[in-house]
Amino acid sequence: MARVHLRYYALLREQAGRQAETVETAAQTPEALYAELATRHGFRLAQSQLKVAVNASFTDWTCALADGDEVVFIPPVAGG
Amino acid sequence: MNAFEFTHEPLEPAALSAALADPAAGGFAAFEGRVRNQNDGRVVSRLEYEAFEELAQGEGERIVAEALRRHGALRARCVHRLGALAVGEIAVWVGVVAAHRAEAFSACRQIINEIKHRLPIWKKEYFADGDSGWVNCTHCAEAARVPDFDYSRQLVLPEIGTAGQQRLAQSTVIVIGAGGLGCAVLSGLAGAGIGTIVIVDDDVVDPANLHRQPLYTPDDVGRQKAGAAAARLAAYNPTIRLRPMPVRLTAANAKEIVVLGDVVVDCSDNFATKFLVNDAAVLSGRPAVLASVYQYEGQLQVVRADARGSCLRCQWPEATRDGLVGNCTESGVLPPVPAVLGSLQAMEVLKLLLDLPGQLRDEVLLVDLLELGQRRLSAPRARECNDRCARIRSVDAAAPTPELEIALPLAEAAAQGYRIIDIRNPEECAQSPLALGGHESIPLPRLLDAASTLDPRLRYLLVCAHGIRSRAAAEQLRAGGSGNVWSLQGGLARQG
Repeated sequence: MARVHLRYYALLREQAGRQAETVETAAQTPEALYAELATRHGFRLAQSQLKVAVNASFTDWTCALADGDEVVFIPPVAGG
Repeated sequence: MNAFEFTHEPLEPAALSAALADPAAGGFAAFEGRVRNQNDGRVVSRLEYEAFEELAQGEGERIVAEALRRHGALRARCVHRLGALAVGEIAVWVGVVAAHRAEAFSACRQIINEIKHRLPIWKKEYFADGDSGWVNCTHCAEAARVPDFDYSRQLVLPEIGTAGQQRLAQSTVIVIGAGGLGCAVLSGLAGAGIGTIVIVDDDVVDPANLHRQPLYTPDDVGRQKAGAAAARLAAYNPTIRLRPMPVRLTAANAKEIVVLGDVVVDCSDNFATKFLVNDAAVLSGRPAVLASVYQYEGQLQVVRADARGSCLRCQWPEATRDGLVGNCTESGVLPPVPAVLGSLQAMEVLKLLLDLPGQLRDEVLLVDLLELGQRRLSAPRARECNDRCARIRSVDAAAPTPELEIALPLAEAAAQGYRIIDIRNPEECAQSPLALGGHESIPLPRLLDAASTLDPRLRYLLVCAHGIRSRAAAEQLRAGGSGNVWSLQGGLARQG
């Protein structure tokens, strides 16, 4: 189990009902973590519509998560 | 008929305004300066005007021509009385005709201010107590002479100086979208003295824009944003050139427009345009400064494909569809949010043009104005893009699928056999119910979840407020294999 810190933006913040949280997860990758959180919080955006950053760098969905990582799922925004 | 004249005869406004009749003029503004019965607390009984006519004639005509040029008015005339005038008589008359009232008002105001300031005209006041005295009219000018636009407060910055200021004056910046972000970007760049600013926006000012778009006033509602913003900024800083382009950025014109500038700034409110700006900038080798806002948050990215930097497609290879996440219309926005992000965009443009340190590059800045947090996320160039971007071949990729949308009155669409599905959320439906009958109401998220329940033998027409969400939903459903789904173009807003 890894402890990861999460931050939510825009639509995900609304759907999660929070800006940040820390979770214990068995997920090994951001992909698995998003699937887990999507079920828990009812996220409607498909993973393909999002980007993920781990420790302040955009990364791919299959990188290995480590204990203490900060994970940010970034939805696209278009308002002007 | 001269544009400026002196006369010893009483002025007749009806005849003067009739002479300015012009079928192209939608606005006529006139100013009459009249003899007052008092000055400085003393009762005035009559006046006498005298002028250095040889000099004043040419200068008066120059004043009228300058005002026409500066405000884009059609024609103007100014006539000044000389000799003895009684209280209540008209001393000077100015009339201007223009396509719209704004140009007519502003040109008229400029002419009278300049006449009072620049022309060698004197008046002698005769007071009721028998005293009299000459007054040079320049002393009673309503407005002081317009001072030059003064850049001294930025010239003193050691990184700028006259060389930097000159570089800004020689630069051209293209701003795509003159909305919430655009107003902040445009004000910042116009104030800094960018030599030429091109404003691209095909939209008109809506009353709902005003709270976050301070370049417009309620009088501008219905006017094209590009023109209104250019007029406002030209009045703000007369030393720069503004070029309004009231067109929509499309795959057909994006590259042509982007190459007009040294930098392009994306202030649009939709993904199709953002990707178009990104793609055109990458293909044309121009830097692009992109921003978006969502409620209390924003994202900022500087695309330096001209310097082997990353672009939008490094992170988002596929253009995001509009409608999946909300825009300002649907999700709401507070004025300072686009103002902050737009100011950051203007700052990045200046940093780029002036070669200042700390430029955002290969990064995305996330700003959260509720918790006052910001994050710089590293966003490197995609691996496959070595020397050249491997992901963008042409700007056509961002164009929407044309046959996806249908522009028909809803009743007619229903008569043609389309099953109408209202995909708005329950609050929207309650607020403005669809007066059609026979339609279904399935909010967008539920529809996407229940795509498999659509009957493949029927044709469905999705309907929302502005046709953005319905188009995205139709695209997504088609991508999922439902070929029998269409979107109502322009949504209910266009149904009239």
